[in-house]
Amino acid sequence: MSHDIVTPLLSNAIKAGTILLLPTIGEIFSERAGILNLGVEGMMLIGAFFGFIVAKLTNNPYYGIIAGMAAGGIASLIHAFVCITLKGNQIVSGLALTIFGAGFTTFYGQSWINMNLSNPLKGLALPVLSKIPLIGPVLFNQDLIVYLSYLLTIILWIILYKTTIGLNLRAVGENAKAANSMGISVSKTRYFWTFFGGLMAGAGGAYLTVAYAPFWLDGITAGRGWIAVALVIFAMWDPIKAIFGAYLFGSINALQFQLQASGTSIPSAILNMMPYLVTFIVIVISSIIVKTKHIRPPKELGIPYFREEK
Amino acid sequence: MFYFEKRKQISLKLKIAIPLISLLIGFIVGSVAILITGTNPLLVYKELFLNAFGSWYAFSETLVAATPLILISAGLIIVFKMSVWNIGAFGQYIMGAIFSSYFAIFLDPSIPKPLMLSIMIAASLIGGAVWALIPTLLKIFWEVNEVITTLLLNYVSLYILKFLMYGPWKNPTSYGFPLSKTFPDSAQLPILFGGYRLTIAFIFALLTILIVWFLLKKTRFGYEVRVIGDNPTAAKYAGINVNKNIIIAMAISGALAGLAGMSQVSGIIHFLQVKINADYGYASIIVAWISYLDPFLTLLASILFGGLSSGGYSIQISMRVSYGIVGLIESIVLFSLVGAQIFLNYKIRWKKHES
Repeated sequence: MSHDIVTPLLSNAIKAGTILLLPTIGEIFSERAGILNLGVEGMMLIGAFFGFIVAKLTNNPYYGIIAGMAAGGIASLIHAFVCITLKGNQIVSGLALTIFGAGFTTFYGQSWINMNLSNPLKGLALPVLSKIPLIGPVLFNQDLIVYLSYLLTIILWIILYKTTIGLNLRAVGENAKAANSMGISVSKTRYFWTFFGGLMAGAGGAYLTVAYAPFWLDGITAGRGWIAVALVIFAMWDPIKAIFGAYLFGSINALQFQLQASGTSIPSAILNMMPYLVTFIVIVISSIIVKTKHIRPPKELGIPYFREEK
Repeated sequence: MFYFEKRKQISLKLKIAIPLISLLIGFIVGSVAILITGTNPLLVYKELFLNAFGSWYAFSETLVAATPLILISAGLIIVFKMSVWNIGAFGQYIMGAIFSSYFAIFLDPSIPKPLMLSIMIAASLIGGAVWALIPTLLKIFWEVNEVITTLLLNYVSLYILKFLMYGPWKNPTSYGFPLSKTFPDSAQLPILFGGYRLTIAFIFALLTILIVWFLLKKTRFGYEVRVIGDNPTAAKYAGINVNKNIIIAMAISGALAGLAGMSQVSGIIHFLQVKINADYGYASIIVAWISYLDPFLTLLASILFGGLSSGGYSIQISMRVSYGIVGLIESIVLFSLVGAQIFLNYKIRWKKHES
């Protein structure tokens, strides 16, 4: 392949990967705190919907991103309330959140279907960095959200492993009782990081409709939320590894579109299936690695914490 | 501050009240959602109710929608009882439809109807079971999380269906529409009463409820399922083969979802297409949950949600209220139920702050 095909392909891979990276790191932190949220797909849909509408109405893509984040965050609070305050089953509550997101956006999205954004998120080439051969145009000729996602991932990695906040967070997910006796509020920690997960899922959804595919379609996230949940296992609950997972899947997405556009003889249904099938295979492989390396999910993931219980 | 105290006994009153209150909350939140769009929610609900239960035809359509829900959730209650999470009924339903459609499309249409239908039913059971067993075996051998794998396979099966419909199985005379050729009469499930769409699949669904009840309450398998559900580690020590039971339960659950798919294409649509209402797979999770994983309550909940679904389609056409309202109400019901479960097992006690 020549240069002028590779660069846009990789550049698109980063964009498609960002849609996944944001929800994946959000879910990593939620799971680290012990809350499994299978509502990522629903929160992304809600984020995508509000992101699109606000960007459309204000003609400002950044407002769209903020609105999408806020909407995802609010949606996550339903899950937090059911799972943390009421100690409900996290798997079922998460599924309910996904069904809610799909129902909500179908219900209110009807009149917005096939509308376009006239002012989608634009690129900001970073001076000097974007001139680096090969890497420059791919990594540093992107939009603001992509740059922020680089920064955020690194900051979150530092928070998780190098700060007291991260220590407390991990303690809550590993052994809530011990964390509580150390004076950490299990509920507050879990609420905060579940909310954070919602913000990130909403941001990923909004990035999809404000930058990547600036229009509204019913069910536009098309299972990306589930891929994000799967990527958490691939990343082994580590934000830096999530970058590689997300961009790998971004590449598959970008490649699939490139092939489709170039009029390949591979049927489009097979191309569209690729991200899910590859995720499936990757999850099987990484589960085996996780098992043999004795890496495991946060110990109390999915288990409600009763403070007064013996 | 409040704290939770474990109840010694689960009260029957709460067991009845909680699903009812959850439904009420679902409809209240739903009416707020409808109100925002400037429509009168009471009119919508009245229309929904009349289109679900208002006439014999409406009721028969509710039972048509309830049939796949009964079949799928009957299987799900077995696996959910073991805390194994089959979220893949959507895909297993599609695979059941695809496997059975193969024979409807390619087998000699003149073979006797009972033979054709038996082959199709067997194929759908196998298709659904195979699709459920892939994630099950991966879970058992390598601890691969079944929630994620069953879910991802939903998308894979959807694209297999799309591939077939846009490619090899497309009817050349369908003017480019992604449909298979219409099933011959021998491949169509017989209807129960003339003028209605309800088929013999509804009878199968009722029988399934009886069989699952019998399996769970009267057999060793059912006993083992309960023990595993209570405590898998203890079950292992008690000499129960946990893995074997998980495989059997998932195979049954997948097979029933497959049969539900077959009942839809063979009994209702009469050809294979991309839209075959696989969403019943997700709705069945709610049905199983709202009925406390009890087979007879599952029947009741399926009819209720069948009504919500068939009424939902009707109001979409007659009142231009998006079908999304059904998912919205269903999800709120589910949230309320999951949240309220705590009141079943715990009493809320208040205590003053100690400083």
